[in-house]
Amino acid sequence: MLLDLNGIEKRFGGVTALRDGNLGVEAGEVHLLLGENGAGKSTLMKIVAGMERRDAGRMLWQGRDAAFRTPAEAAAAGIAMVHQESLLAPHLSVAENIFLGREERLPFGWVNRRRMIEQAARMIEEHHFPLDATGRVERLSPAGKQLVGICRAIQHGSSLLIFDEPTSSLSGAETDEVFRIVRTLRARGMGVIYITHRLEELRVIGDRVTILRDGATVHSGALAELSTDRIIQYMVGREMVSIYQRQPVTPGAELLRVEGISRGGAFRGVSFSLRAGEIVGLAGLIGAGRTETCRAIFGVDPLDAGEVFVAGRPVRLQSPREAVAAGIALVSEDRQRTGLALRLPIAYNITMANLRQICRLGFIDGRAQGRVTADYIGRLRIRASSGRQAAGRLSGGNQQKVVIAKWLFRRARVFLFDEPTRGIDVGAKIEVFELMDELARGGAAVLMVSSEMQELLQVADRILVMRRGSISGELPGSTTQEEIMRLAALEREPAA
Amino acid sequence: MMQRLLPFLSLIVLFVALAIASPHFLTETNLSSVVRQTAVINIMSLGMTLIIIAGGIDLSVGAMLAMCGVLGGMAMEHGVPVPVGILVGVLTGFFWGSVNGFLATRLGIAPFIVTLGTLGIIRGLTLIITGGLPVTRLPASFAFLGEGSLLGVPFVLWVVVVCALATHVILEHTRLGRYAFAIGSNPDAAVYAGVPVRFNTTAVYALGGLLTGLAGMIEASRLMTGQPSAGNGYELQAIAAVVIGGGSLHGGEGSVIGTLIGALIMGLLSNGSDLLGISPYLQQAIIGGVIILAVTVDELRKRRGRAEA
Repeated sequence: MLLDLNGIEKRFGGVTALRDGNLGVEAGEVHLLLGENGAGKSTLMKIVAGMERRDAGRMLWQGRDAAFRTPAEAAAAGIAMVHQESLLAPHLSVAENIFLGREERLPFGWVNRRRMIEQAARMIEEHHFPLDATGRVERLSPAGKQLVGICRAIQHGSSLLIFDEPTSSLSGAETDEVFRIVRTLRARGMGVIYITHRLEELRVIGDRVTILRDGATVHSGALAELSTDRIIQYMVGREMVSIYQRQPVTPGAELLRVEGISRGGAFRGVSFSLRAGEIVGLAGLIGAGRTETCRAIFGVDPLDAGEVFVAGRPVRLQSPREAVAAGIALVSEDRQRTGLALRLPIAYNITMANLRQICRLGFIDGRAQGRVTADYIGRLRIRASSGRQAAGRLSGGNQQKVVIAKWLFRRARVFLFDEPTRGIDVGAKIEVFELMDELARGGAAVLMVSSEMQELLQVADRILVMRRGSISGELPGSTTQEEIMRLAALEREPAA
Repeated sequence: MMQRLLPFLSLIVLFVALAIASPHFLTETNLSSVVRQTAVINIMSLGMTLIIIAGGIDLSVGAMLAMCGVLGGMAMEHGVPVPVGILVGVLTGFFWGSVNGFLATRLGIAPFIVTLGTLGIIRGLTLIITGGLPVTRLPASFAFLGEGSLLGVPFVLWVVVVCALATHVILEHTRLGRYAFAIGSNPDAAVYAGVPVRFNTTAVYALGGLLTGLAGMIEASRLMTGQPSAGNGYELQAIAAVVIGGGSLHGGEGSVIGTLIGALIMGLLSNGSDLLGISPYLQQAIIGGVIILAVTVDELRKRRGRAEA
């Protein structure tokens, strides 16, 4: 056995990312690693590749105990990872990237550029890669960049190659190219670990499969013995502990409607509507275009086509400012980057989108600001020492509540929640759900993007599913995770 | 809290130490000369405080100061009343500040580069306008701005106090100030909250320019000349004052009181060195060391703050 992982554990602060990771990879096989977002696949691979250290468990590499402290150590031992967004130096040439850190050297610290280019060209030729050894990496397509990453792994003499969702940003032809290369590597006796979310890819490329759920390996075995349905069952699990279940209300007037909106390669022809009192889920895999859709509706990125209606009136939202003025709020996926000014007090953050409201004669009324802040801290049960505390000092859940408070104070009517529970512990999650419910009951329309299907089932009245930039279907709130997964991951409707 | 008071305590310690070390320090003549000498940098650094809080920087203020003094002086040479001449200088600063803000927000070029460019442009234009010669035929009453006294204290002290209060009010009690903090702390979050980022950023640079214009007129009044070469290196002193006073070049942090303390520390160091007969060459080195020390202490404080969180 090339690689053998046993009972790997890893926690980040209070969050357990892995509780029982097991994986065995043979030389000359393509081993699929499957699981929902957050199941622990990436963490497990980072441990293998020396980017994270395990807290407990055993790792055998070529039969010997191993613990890599840095990616360089893992690389020296023969393990290489090809990232979704390959870690390359974009301004350097293909050859320079392939040899980065392992340059062919001449005396006095000179670099033998010609030899590097020759060797790179020979390798590219040998594998029939569509690359130019002297071309700059920034000009390459995503697939081309991955090829450079692969070349680098081969050049370093790796015997195990890890692909983390290699095809998520690739076109059909490019995907086929990656498959061809993976097969070549397998034929040369290398071990390949392949992480994917695309169920339709499994049979094309895989030999054996390991499935992770909630940080533990739930199944490992030959792919041929498993039906796709069975794989989905392993991935989503059977035990659905429902601690929160929203009671839907009768929807009111339509507050937001988008018709056939498209943007570049991100999403196309997306249409849906949100009504007052509704919480609509938006499901899909990472890279399906959900975040991009929200950003475009909020005016961050321009639309190429399609129309947006707010409360029945057509609008052209060119900037977040215009979207905010139209009553739309985006609780973004990355609240630390786009939602909060972490170093500023909670009070500043809550009032930021509606300062006019607490201004008198052009001056900020400090007492009004204090009142508003205290009011929201109380209503949203934000656990903070005072409104003067820096937002960055709060826990994830309380930070999220500050973002929501900002939009409540702005009196937004349409809320776009993008992964609202990311990085939040279970108790705070339910509080966020309750807040969303309160918003809807108060007459707002809520769109909730989530990669956690269980959450969508608990909160959403109906669920839209996106796949590769388009809406692939709409399901009632009473649907199942299997149904969502099918629409999110399968290219075609399977014959029932 | 103790660490926040550190710059203030250093200022007091420095003050007391100088009072003990030199019998000439605590005299009316010396103190009023400190006030007059530091007024120009003080007022410039108030504007720089706004700009740095908003996450920007303005390297062109030294050159701007010279052009403001020169244009204001030329206006007075041509016979306009003194207050109008001063206004010409102030508006020149406002204009160039707006240009800096406009270029930084519309071209998407880092403000460091934009203002490095305008530094050269403004200095060059000033030299062309004057032919490199100072503007000297200024009306005698103009001297009051820099050298006069009102109610027993130097007039410039009143100007500094009024500017400081106004800047403080803008920063802490108006939308512009609040947005400056928001933009400097996290520009993306400000955009997502619907804050008019470009307008407010430009306004901050314009205000910085306006204050620089006023500083330029004070400088011209003290020398009774509009020097085309005035203000060389002042931008670095203004930035240093902000940074010693707790401002962060990453934006989102800083205060008027901190900046004033920073400017006074530098002023006292320089005055004290003069009184104690320390060479002006060594003075520069001392002030350089103080800048590094102040920022290091501030960084340590912030790091400890984060560790507690």
